[in-house]
Amino acid sequence: MALLELNKVKKIYQQGKIEVPALRGIDLMVEPGEFTTIFGPSGSGKTTLLNMIGCLDTPTEGEIKLNGDRVSDLSRTKLAMVRRYNIGFIFQAYNLIPVLTAYENVEFAIRLIHHLKEEEMKEKALNILEAVGLKGLETRRPNELSGGEKQRVAVARALVKEPKIVLADEPTANLDSKTGADVIKIMVKMNQKLGTTFIFSTHDPQIMKYAKRLINLRDGMISGDERR
Amino acid sequence: MFAIKLGLRNLTRQKRRNIITAMVIAYAFFFYLLFDSVLNGMEEMSFENVIDFETGHIQIANSDYWEEREELPLDNLIYLDQEVQEGLEGIDELSGISPELRFTANLNNGIDELPAIGVGVDPEQYKKVFITQNYLVAGTMFSPGEYQAVMGASLARLMDLKINDYITLLVRTKEDTFNAIDVEVVGLFNTPNPMVNGSTVLIPLDIAQQSLNVENSVSLITLKLDQEKDAKTTITNLNRTFQRKDLNLRAYSWQESAETVVALSEAKKAGIGVILLVVLLIGVIGIVNNIILSALERTEEIGMMKALGMKESEIVLTFMVEAVGIGILGGLLGCLLGVIGVGWMSKYGWGLGYVGGEGSAYGIPIMDKIYGVWNFSAFVFLFFLVIVVALFSSIAPAWWAARKDPVKAIYHR
Repeated sequence: MALLELNKVKKIYQQGKIEVPALRGIDLMVEPGEFTTIFGPSGSGKTTLLNMIGCLDTPTEGEIKLNGDRVSDLSRTKLAMVRRYNIGFIFQAYNLIPVLTAYENVEFAIRLIHHLKEEEMKEKALNILEAVGLKGLETRRPNELSGGEKQRVAVARALVKEPKIVLADEPTANLDSKTGADVIKIMVKMNQKLGTTFIFSTHDPQIMKYAKRLINLRDGMISGDERR
Repeated sequence: MFAIKLGLRNLTRQKRRNIITAMVIAYAFFFYLLFDSVLNGMEEMSFENVIDFETGHIQIANSDYWEEREELPLDNLIYLDQEVQEGLEGIDELSGISPELRFTANLNNGIDELPAIGVGVDPEQYKKVFITQNYLVAGTMFSPGEYQAVMGASLARLMDLKINDYITLLVRTKEDTFNAIDVEVVGLFNTPNPMVNGSTVLIPLDIAQQSLNVENSVSLITLKLDQEKDAKTTITNLNRTFQRKDLNLRAYSWQESAETVVALSEAKKAGIGVILLVVLLIGVIGIVNNIILSALERTEEIGMMKALGMKESEIVLTFMVEAVGIGILGGLLGCLLGVIGVGWMSKYGWGLGYVGGEGSAYGIPIMDKIYGVWNFSAFVFLFFLVIVVALFSSIAPAWWAARKDPVKAIYHR
């Protein structure tokens, strides 16, 4: 069974009296453990597609199944629960909480789902921070970290709750090419180590080379789907 | 809970704004405490001045006289016979009993004439109920049977009178004939009660009774108890005794005697209520404004929290904790300012000269200064009220923030 299944997904935004189609009928299946890149020009619908997959938005038409369960027409509260237990997010602007340390930003995510003992929770958070190369920086706040380090915290935060899918919307866009490559390498490592499914969008051909599957999106439709 | 930890940590963001909001709450808090202290002090002083210089704790009068007491009539007086004397025996915890004959008089100094309130008293009994003698600024108290008077210093000043001057009290007797009482001014008092200072002339009771043709009769009998709290029971017992003896007398509390001052006290409560509403409104506006600004600044963060699966109620909780934190900070600062303000007011007082003279101009029986009183329950009450208000006023803006569409929040659309 596919981890993720999109059937004829359409999304139309209403701008005043004008209807703007963002997705024009997407059919997509993603298997567990895939490392997938969605690429395409600006306005092609990459972010909208990630939002649909991440249960942040609901399609105008079509259905989305996660682990065989239809999630495309759930209530807001149920969608929040789906996101809480199944999906990790990595944002272009990191979106860390500035008043929390690197460790606490990760702890925040783990506390949402796990009812572990304090010690176990701490160990889990520290392990994931070490795995993304942030050992020794746990007590730093986001303003004391570089862009690459912040994004690694975001990766750790996405992975610590052991989600089925991690979605990353242009995770390297705010980073220089070397730092961006380093972050992607960490994502590749975690994909191999934990078997977590990664789907990320990017413009950068240098980043795309790490992907095992490339989905080309153009004008809200999939124009290419290549597995390596 | 992590939401609480995050809410508390968020207090360290926008420190300047949070402190300004807390200070605004603190100032409102402070003004409430100050007004509460001053108004309570004013009430306490007014009540003391009424009891100590005008009414005692209890007044006994003929029911018909009581209805018209403001007119100071000479009808329906109390005849001090054996039965009345017996009716007043056996009162527990009694400090003193003072019979009084009150009458209207025109005070004449040979040149000018002014209306005044004449009060015939027995000085020995009078001093057990009232403390006017303690405020003699010149001369002494008179003795019974002497044609002498003690009067308020303000009235004496108006009439250009001093000790050993002679005055004439022009009165109407019970039979409505005119009479004149010539007395020597032997004492001047300047009490903290400006109403008494500006209108009262005390003369010996026997002289007053003789001049007004009301032999052995008095208008009122005033009683002072050791403890004011016993007044209610004493009044009940007295009224029962008067009824049993079939005397047309009733005992009245000082509150019934001083309706104006009691009415002012009621107005005070309403005034404090209005100030409290203003304080709460300021608190609500400050908190709502703060939460809305915080939510606007943290739109992307709220989006991220929702993306991670945080429930709307959990996001609301973080904002509520933040609001309560500001409320607590404002409350503590307000308490500190309140302690300073109330402490200062209770030690140094507030001169009525700042608002144009003595309290009598406003119907308040206070002479020159109002002192604040400590009301610790107001501190505690307001502190917790501010926290509760902060909590509840944050709910609506926090819900508004938490209900943001996650996509719009993350991408600032």
